[in-house]
Amino acid sequence: MTEYFLLIISAIFVNNILLAQYLGNCPFLGCSRNIGTAAGMGAAVVFVVVMASGFTWAIQRYVLVPFSLDYLQTIVFILVIAALVQFVEMFLKKAAPPLYKSLGIFLPLITTNCAVLGIAIICQRKDYGIVKTLVFSFASALGFMLALLLMAAIRERFELSRLPQSMKGAPAGLVMAGLMSLAFFAFKGMIS
Amino acid sequence: MSTLWKEFSKGLWNELPPFRLVLGLCPTLAVTKTANNGLGMGLAVIFVLTLSNMLISMVRKIIPAKVRIACFIVIAASLVVAVELLMQAYAYPLYQQLGIFVPLIVVNCIILGRAEAFASRNPVLPSIADGLGMGVGYTASLTFLGALRELFGYGTVFGAPVMWGSFKPFSFMIEAPGAFVCLGVLLAGMNFFSAWQARRKGGPDAVPAVSDCGSCGMCDMARKRG
Amino acid sequence: MREIMKMVVVLSLISGLSGAVLAWLKDATKNRIEEQVLTYVQGPALEQVFPPHDNNPITDRKRFEVPGAPGESVTIFPALKDGKLAGYAMETYGQGYGGDIGVIVGFDAGKDALTGIGVTTMKETPGLGTNVAKHGFTTQFAGHPLEKLELKSKGGSIDAVSGASYSSTGAITAVQKAVALRDKLKDEIGKTWQ
Repeated sequence: MTEYFLLIISAIFVNNILLAQYLGNCPFLGCSRNIGTAAGMGAAVVFVVVMASGFTWAIQRYVLVPFSLDYLQTIVFILVIAALVQFVEMFLKKAAPPLYKSLGIFLPLITTNCAVLGIAIICQRKDYGIVKTLVFSFASALGFMLALLLMAAIRERFELSRLPQSMKGAPAGLVMAGLMSLAFFAFKGMIS
Repeated sequence: MSTLWKEFSKGLWNELPPFRLVLGLCPTLAVTKTANNGLGMGLAVIFVLTLSNMLISMVRKIIPAKVRIACFIVIAASLVVAVELLMQAYAYPLYQQLGIFVPLIVVNCIILGRAEAFASRNPVLPSIADGLGMGVGYTASLTFLGALRELFGYGTVFGAPVMWGSFKPFSFMIEAPGAFVCLGVLLAGMNFFSAWQARRKGGPDAVPAVSDCGSCGMCDMARKRG
Repeated sequence: MREIMKMVVVLSLISGLSGAVLAWLKDATKNRIEEQVLTYVQGPALEQVFPPHDNNPITDRKRFEVPGAPGESVTIFPALKDGKLAGYAMETYGQGYGGDIGVIVGFDAGKDALTGIGVTTMKETPGLGTNVAKHGFTTQFAGHPLEKLELKSKGGSIDAVSGASYSSTGAITAVQKAVALRDKLKDEIGKTWQ
């Protein structure tokens, strides 16, 4: 049990996928204008990341490794993720229109979110079993959502503040991310 | 010839990938601990980008519009796997250093962005020039950022010590926070510089690069589709 | 209908072509990649366990079939000095706390003793289990005779890493496996490299 607890804490705080592992910066800077968008994007990422990691784990284990095709990992994973995203989009459209309305517009953006492919590959490289893969990917995605929400909350404030013209937009966002990352850095000492 | 040069050179300054068209940030932040890693990543991107632009431009007329994204992804991903194999065979330490960012080249917005915005609408030669230019610009930016972080973080550039003897490495620079702040300040510097240039020419103020999903080619595609 | 056909044909053509090219590339780079992985993953541990030698143990490596166990084989890395076999090493695995621990075990060619061990891969708890790769634990094996390779708590002569008995047992299991393999292959190795 402690093992899973540590895995979760370390994935959310210590090795935050965004602030410590640099994955998923495009949506981080692009979709953090307001908290509503950030929450939608975050939820969609959690959903897709967990599904994608589970699927890719099964494919790696039951298709790629037995046929020793593991060098094709990158191709297969990205295609699986792209197909999965399409499928989820269609499914939500039919089965849960309200959910589709709130998450739907974010889904196509997720295919190229490197956090999704990144987490799937990290799980493989660390040789996690299926339970660990699911727990780890869920916690990592939660960490992504947390960072995104915090960023959106900060950004809503500084949209109103007076910044030098050349700092507006991405530069200020990056510096903010740096400061947040510094704060998260403090968790490093927690789990050695 | 001059048009080819135009396509090539736009990637070097006017549309310099990570700085002007805020694209492909994740590897820009992650692999620039040292100048060497930045350069290695850049070279891998040049390889993938130039070849993917070339191949996509070659097949652009036979790809049905509806599955073009899937085709682009297959082509880009195949090239990435090729890079992975070649890197393992000829530059294993670099492959270990770059870690998961080698396979992640496939989701680097620059690759699919250029495929959609340029290679799928232009003949082969200009597409190669475009890919090469963007790739070289990207490499230069990554190497520059890497050199800067290495200089302050380790006191070396390309592994050679350059700082004075009593220099204390500023390890903030090589950790995640340093990467974000460093890139942010560099972007601001670029914006400031272009604004100053525009003012000197007497033109209107240059609009600072705004990072939005819109700046990312792939997201743009997704939006058009959706 | 025609359009769908075209989509399917184009997509499978592209996928097939890239698959063929990649399979070829994979094949072409296979040997080099294996060598590179050995150099950078096993290499440091190999250098750690070997007596002075003047060859490259990785390029001189050879696979041996294990007698009595069809289908099983093990790669032996020889250390040659002036053309004569000074020692050899092999990689074996033992179950640790977080997964398999890979250990390079070096043997003296002249007498029945180990020259040392070096850990290559492991997933042990950082700060505890990872200490099996550290100096204090591995140095116990240098020059150790092939008997009594067991933890002190089990009647052997090896001190476990404190707080990491699973990892220590895993490393020792790997060493014992290597000793068992060496018993079976000793003569053949002696014949291959004088």
